[in-house]
Parts: sequence; structure tokens; C-alpha cells
Amino acid sequence: MNASTWFTLRPQRGTTTVRDLLTPAQIRCLGVLLLAAQLPQAPHLPIWVAATGIMLVGLRIVLLRRDRLRPQAPPARIPSWALAVFAVAAALAVRASFGYLAGRDPSVAFLYILVAIKFLETRSTRDGTLLICLACFLLVTPFFYSQSPLAAIVVLPAVLGVGVALDALTCNRTALPAFDWRSALRRSAVMILQGLPVAALLFVLFPRLAAPLWGLPSDYGAQSGLSDSMSPGQISELSLSDAVAFRVDFDGPVPPPALRYWRGPVFSRFDGRTWSPGPFMLRGGVLPVEGPVVTYTVTLEPNHRRSLFALDLPVALPVFSGGAAPLIGAPYITIDQQLLMRAPMGAESLRYSQQSVLRSRFPAMSSLESRANLGVGEGNPRTLALAAQLRALHPDDSAYIGAILEKFTREDFVYTLAPPLFERDPVDLFLFGERRGFCEHYASAFVLLLRAAGIPARVVTGYQGGAVNPRGGYMIVRQSDAHAWAEAMIGGQWQRYDPTAAVAPSRIELGLGGALSAGEPVPFLARLDATWLTGVQLAWDAFNHDWRRNFIDFNRDRQRSLWRDWRLDQFAPWQVVALIALTIFAWGAMVVGWLMWKRRHQERALVLWDDLNRRLARAGLPRQPHEGPLAFASRAAQRWPQFAIAFAAIGESFAELRYGSVPVARERDALVATLERAIDVLPAPAALRTTH
Amino acid sequence: MTLRSASQAGTPSAARLALILAQLGRIVVGKDEPLRLALACLLARGHLLIEDIPGVGKSTLAQALAATLGLKYSRVQFTSDLLPADVLGVSIYDERSQSFRFHPGPIFNSVVLADEINRAPPKTQSALLEAMEERQVSQDGQTRKLPEPFFVIATQNPTEQIGAYPLPESQLDRFLLAIELGYPDSAAERELLSGGDRRSRIGDTAPLADPATLADWQREAAAIHVAPALLDYVQALLAASRGHTGSGEAASRRGLSPRAGLMLLAAARAYALIGGRPMVLPEDVQAVFPSVAGHRLAGGTRAGALQSQSLLRAVPLP
Repeated sequence: MNASTWFTLRPQRGTTTVRDLLTPAQIRCLGVLLLAAQLPQAPHLPIWVAATGIMLVGLRIVLLRRDRLRPQAPPARIPSWALAVFAVAAALAVRASFGYLAGRDPSVAFLYILVAIKFLETRSTRDGTLLICLACFLLVTPFFYSQSPLAAIVVLPAVLGVGVALDALTCNRTALPAFDWRSALRRSAVMILQGLPVAALLFVLFPRLAAPLWGLPSDYGAQSGLSDSMSPGQISELSLSDAVAFRVDFDGPVPPPALRYWRGPVFSRFDGRTWSPGPFMLRGGVLPVEGPVVTYTVTLEPNHRRSLFALDLPVALPVFSGGAAPLIGAPYITIDQQLLMRAPMGAESLRYSQQSVLRSRFPAMSSLESRANLGVGEGNPRTLALAAQLRALHPDDSAYIGAILEKFTREDFVYTLAPPLFERDPVDLFLFGERRGFCEHYASAFVLLLRAAGIPARVVTGYQGGAVNPRGGYMIVRQSDAHAWAEAMIGGQWQRYDPTAAVAPSRIELGLGGALSAGEPVPFLARLDATWLTGVQLAWDAFNHDWRRNFIDFNRDRQRSLWRDWRLDQFAPWQVVALIALTIFAWGAMVVGWLMWKRRHQERALVLWDDLNRRLARAGLPRQPHEGPLAFASRAAQRWPQFAIAFAAIGESFAELRYGSVPVARERDALVATLERAIDVLPAPAALRTTH
Repeated sequence: MTLRSASQAGTPSAARLALILAQLGRIVVGKDEPLRLALACLLARGHLLIEDIPGVGKSTLAQALAATLGLKYSRVQFTSDLLPADVLGVSIYDERSQSFRFHPGPIFNSVVLADEINRAPPKTQSALLEAMEERQVSQDGQTRKLPEPFFVIATQNPTEQIGAYPLPESQLDRFLLAIELGYPDSAAERELLSGGDRRSRIGDTAPLADPATLADWQREAAAIHVAPALLDYVQALLAASRGHTGSGEAASRRGLSPRAGLMLLAAARAYALIGGRPMVLPEDVQAVFPSVAGHRLAGGTRAGALQSQSLLRAVPLP
């Protein structure tokens, strides 16, 4: 297709009358609104989609400018068939880019381009109204991706823009050349502020559903966090990230660092290099252990995995807060005591409350466990030989384990974030060659040595530590806290061993930043020396956490408990609704009353004059916005000659009051009285309308 | 307008000004509004630019104005060979007194008609325009005051621009008002055709005022009250002319300056004085606005006047 045919110029035609057509100022206003609505969404889209949408809107504005510079030429217009072709092309391109069309991401991308195409053909007031509705829909889409306070702030300009565009569309046409976007912006802002109390009231009091009407579809996205298997180098890579894994609100005191083992995926199967889950992903049960129970709420960041994290050892199943539970289904605990969901996590973060007993020793669930945790995989012959040698010296299990831990402590093993790459026989290479490794190397070698000696053992991954945010009093656990440790079965009991602690005890006490030597690439926020930037980051994190806790997760349960606090639960639902209606009505009355109060305190003459204008407008003679008092009065006198004297008195007394200098109060009062009497002479608007 | 005429006799000066307008109207037939604007221009101590084709009564208007107000009148036909000295005057050596003697030019009169000002070279134009601004003539190291009142009516023919020197924008700014006379309507034209030569009537005209009275009126006009509400309106008009409206159509590349705003107020005050009101109304501002703004906006007087009409419609009263 020849590109130039897309922009053919032809005179405007069609059935829309001039009155229905949008003025260039109105179209520009709509264009600005669209840009404001597009920008918050743009970062979530492929760059070509974002650019195309913005360029289409820009094209219309450029065409408008061209029309203005060449007023004689017929207005530029893109034929509608070209737009249709373009829409189809956009759909195909989106399909090609995403690989599918019926999903959240491609749908949003298509909507994004479609709205811009609609703008290109927007000409009538009706189109404009439709476009504003579409812009409102577009405004919602960024929240599919993020519900952070930042996302809310970013769409604010567009919300204001909707007000301004509505103002521009409904603006009196005769006054349109004087359309002032500043005052429209002010009006829109004032109206949003006036609406805030009503919105807050509805937020708190409008009955919430037990579950959302529809769930957010989650597309496969980027992954971070602990994975479903462990091979050398994986966790150390993860530890380079500052990203938050989850946040925890403790109901009581925060446990000491050495006890903060957040249990995650447990690995039983070993092929000589990679650890993967064993056969015990099956549903198990909560172990009956005793001890003081710690209760806390975890807010898990989206990671697209099934694992949930709990302090070792979880003694109850997690309870999801709010509407998430029916969508995800109940979580369960496996035989090897890890918490799992039935489906991978969606794009939204997840909140659950959890109970744990802090202990490092617990009974095994099944007798099968000891047999399944003995495999040594292929390779690593020197390690197996070492195990046999040590076992000969220490027939007792505990003594044997002690000897291995002592070996890690005594010999010059180094704890580092940047271990060398172990290609073959990784445990051999680590134990006898490099002797430099991260927690996964130590855990892996430790478990293999135990298994080679016939002691059942397994690798547990998760997080260790976490820092309390002083700004919010909650704990942040980051990806840099990712950790791997070991469990060994001794006398039917699983006992936790952390070989990393033997090499670098400060990793457990102080976190990553304390354990690594200088020069290691420790993530910024895991460092011990706090800077002001860390403080700002923590404050922002606290704000986000509060936002999430108090706004996003304000669900039916929280609403009910709030109602209980306010003693609202004694009312029937219809009574609550009536209360809401009454409060909104009262608020409306307050706003209107305030406007009336303001008006009453305006100049009396202006009030009378405005009243007269309204009455004459109803009688069929509206005052033009620019019409002065004498001109309007004489026009009225021509229309109703029988009241010419009254109109003359009205015009002159108002002109004198508004534009003259009448310093004496009594004279002013006399003039106001004249104005009032002269207006009283006139009959009611309905009567005036019929007289000639 | 019934209302305005009812209030016309509001002040003694207004009654006499009404008489003056009536007499002028008998000479320049059917041109009530241009006459009123011309008189307002004189009362506001400004100068008048008339843009129109020949033969519609520009000179008649100037002569009639001078005669009715009892002012001395002179006329300069601007041509391409006109020199500044032809307008301002020249010093000639007088053999008897053995010294130079200044012979004042036609500019030393109260009403000066500068006909077809755009025919003269820029040097002569600017000599006249400087004198208009300073109200004095400096020559040979001597400064001579021009008479008071001093009122220049310049005319130019906008349609014939070949061999002409159109006035630059900065010079146009020296004229308070720019008006067009236009063709008379059919009744007025009939009266003109049947009534014989109008100019011959000027000789019979009795002066209805004198320079001293005129100076009083000018002071009176300058003292007319302007309310804050009216200043709001004037400011809104100025802002609109500068394109602050957000609308591309009304936006102009050259808006009105603060001085134009002052001139607008002065003209509106004089107009209110003629109307017999002690204060300026938006109607007064609207009456003079196209004539004040027309030649100050881009695109020539006529386009400017049209643009100022649409500005007036667009700006609501505050």
C-alpha cells in the first residue's frame, strides 16, 4: 500500500452537523488526556506498542496543527478504511509479538493501540464522550500490574485530565474560544477533592464481597526467588539481588537472628550435581511439636512459584487473608514439612498468617523418609572415599557429624559470593580443590558426606535472617537472605545442621553483609553500613507495606472487624446502606450549603443581577457572556417594551453599583433598593415568555 | 439606543458634546459612530488614523471637527517628495535682521490632517510621528512647543500600496484609534447627493467650543472612574489578545501591550464622557476596543478589527 494514500485530504462531509463537531481545542484536550492515560501503562508494554500508541495520538495533534497553519486547505482526514486496516494490522502484530491474543498482556496492548486509533477518527461530541470512557478503562490497566502507591500517583494526572476533558466537552460552545484549561483543571481538582469523602465512605462502608468477582489473569512472567531445584551457583546468584522476597509482621517479639530459618523447598534427590525434590511432595500433616508458638503474617512478593515460607517449624497451615483463598485453594504441608500451594502464585502479592514453633529438631513423619534420603548420585568419588575414611574413625553418628563440621571450621574454607564454577564432580572439586563456596556448596557437601556414611540427610532451602525495618516495625526478608542448610535424621528425629555457620558464624548473626570479606559484591541493602539512601529506601518500603496492609488488603474480614469496632454490626445491611446514603446526602448538602453561603456573602447587587439573568434566560432571552448591563437591559427593553422603564432602571442601577464609584453606603443601599424594586416589577419568567 | 440617549444629558459637558456631535452629524452625514470615536480620540488626547478609500469624507470630517471646536486647521498632502521641513517648518536667513528666522510648518496647528501619510518617505513620516508623540518640535537646537490641544488625523489608503511606504507597527502604535469611515448607507447617500457640497457648509459653521473648554473636557475625561471589576475585564481582554485562552483560533502572534491597555482605558473614558456617564462601563470598552486594538494586532487594521470583534465575543464579563 502506498503510504500517501493513508493521509488523503478531502472536505468534511457526513451527517454530523457543525454543532456536533468537536473544535480543535477540544480535540487537543482529549489528546492530552489520552497521553496522560497512556504513559502510566507504557512501561508495562513492549516498546513498539507503547511507541505506536503515543505516535498515533501525536499524529492527530500534528494534523490539527497543520490545519491551523493552513486554514484555507480542507482539514486533514485519515479515511476510516485505513484505520480499520490499521486496527487489524495491530491485532495481528500483537498476536505475533505475544504469541497469543486472549490473555491479559496482549489484550491490554491491543486496547492501548485501539484507543489511539479511535482518537484519530474522533470528530463528534459523541466520539469524544466514548473516548473519555475508553481512557477511563485504559487508566485501570496499570493496576493489573502493580497496585503500589506509586502506580496510584502516576495515574493521578490522567484522572484530572478526565475532569478537564469532560469540562471541555460540556463547555458552552459560545464561550469555547475562551476555554481556559487552567480554570478547568482547578474545577476538576476541586470536584475530585469534594468527592474524596464520599469515596472514602464507600471504601469503608460499602459491603465487600467475600471473593472478588473476577480474578486477575496472571501471565507467565519473570521469575525470581528460590527455584524448584538447587545446583551450585544458583543461590549465590540470587544473593546478589536486593529484591524483597517477603515481609513479616510479628504479633509478638521478633525472634533472634539465629532462629530465623524460613523453611522453603526441601530437596531429597541428588544426581551428583543438582538437588531436586524427593518423593515427599505428597500431602503430609502438621507435626505435633511443643513449644512457644510464634504468630506472624507474611506478605509474599509475587514469584510464580508454589512455595510458601514459614519459620522452622510450621505448626499450622497458613491462613490466607481475604479473597485470595477461594481462588488459590487451601495450601497444604508436605511430608518433609514444606508449605505448598496448589497452583503457582499469580501477579499479586499474597498475605497469609502463620504459626511456628522455633525448634531445630522434630520427629520424622514417615519411616520411608530415612530410606529416600540416602542417595549419593553419580561421581564425587573422593568425597565418598573421605566419608568412608572418617566413618571408620567415628562410628557414632553425632561424632561423625561433629568431625565433618570441625573439618569445615579447622581447614581453610572460604565463604564467598563469587565461587568458581564447578563443572564436574562439584562436591569433589569444592572439598579438595577450591575450598571456596557459598551456602549451597557447604550444604551440598555436608549432606553428601552424611549420606555416604549412611546417615539420612537432606538439603533445605529458604531464607535465613531478615532485617526489621525501623520505620514500620516489620521485617523485610530479601533475596540476598536466601540460604541453604541441612537436616540429618538421628534416632528418628530430624536435626537441623548449618555447615555455613561453621565456616562463617557471622552469616547467621549479622546476615550476608557481615559474613563476606571486603570487596565482595554484597547487594547495597544487605550491607551493614547504613546510609541515608538506605533510610529513604526503608521509609518508602514501610509506606508501601502500610499501603498494602491498609488499602489493598482491606477485605471483607477487615471490613467486618472495623464495623465491629465502630459498633456498626448491630445494623442490618439495609440500614448500613441507608446510613451511607444519608451521609452522602449530608455531605452533598454541606457542599451545596457552603456554595450558597459564599453566594450570599457576595455583593448583593451581583446576586440580584445573576438572578435576573437566570430569570430572563428562562423567559427566552439569555444574556451573552460578554454583554454589558446597559446593552443587555436595552435588548430586554426592545423585547418587552412595556417594561422598558424597569429595564432602564435595572441596567443603570446595576451599572452604577458594579462599575461606578458610590462611596456612600446609603447611596449604595438606595441603588440596591432601586434594582430590587425594578426586578420585582417584572412578572415570572413563564409569564414573560408568553408576553410580547 | 434609547437608554443611552436618556442618560446623555447626565453632565453639562455631555450636553454640549451632544450638541457638537449633532452639528458634526449634519456635515458628515450618516457617520455617527465614527464621529463619536473621532471625538473620543480627541478628548483622550490621542491621534486618529483613518484608513479608507478617497472620497468618503475624511478631510470633511477633519475640517468639520476643527471648525466646530474652534480650532486652527491645516492640511498636509503627503507625497513621495515631501521633506520633514515641509511639515515641521524651516529656518530661513533674514537679511534685514541678519539672522535666521523660523517659519513654522503646517504642524503648528491644533488639528492637522496628514493626508495619505503612507505616500511620504519614512523620514518624513517619522518626523511627524515624533512630533505627535513629543508634542513639540526640535530643530536647529531649539525646541518649540506645539499648540494645545494638538490633534493629528492621518489618513491612508489601504488598497493602493504600490509606491507607498506602509507605516511600521511601531509607528502605528502612536495612533490611539484607527477607524474606517466606509460607504454611507443609501439614505445618507441620497441626502449627500441632493444636498450639494458639504464643505461649503463648514465655512458657515459656528464654533461650539474653544481650546480652553476642550482642555477642560480632556481633564474631565481623564478623571472618569474606573472600577476594579472593569479593570478585571480589561485585563481579561488583554490576556485573551495574547493567546492565553488556550484556543488556537483566537491566539495571535502579537498581543496587546500594557501601553495598549492604558490607551484602551483612556479611549473608553473619553467615550464614557461623551455618553454622559461618570464611570466606564464594559460597553464603553467594547465600543472603542476594535478601533484601539485593530491596528495593534497582526494582519492589518481590518483583520485586526475582525479579530478584536471575536475576542470581544469570546471574553465574558468577569
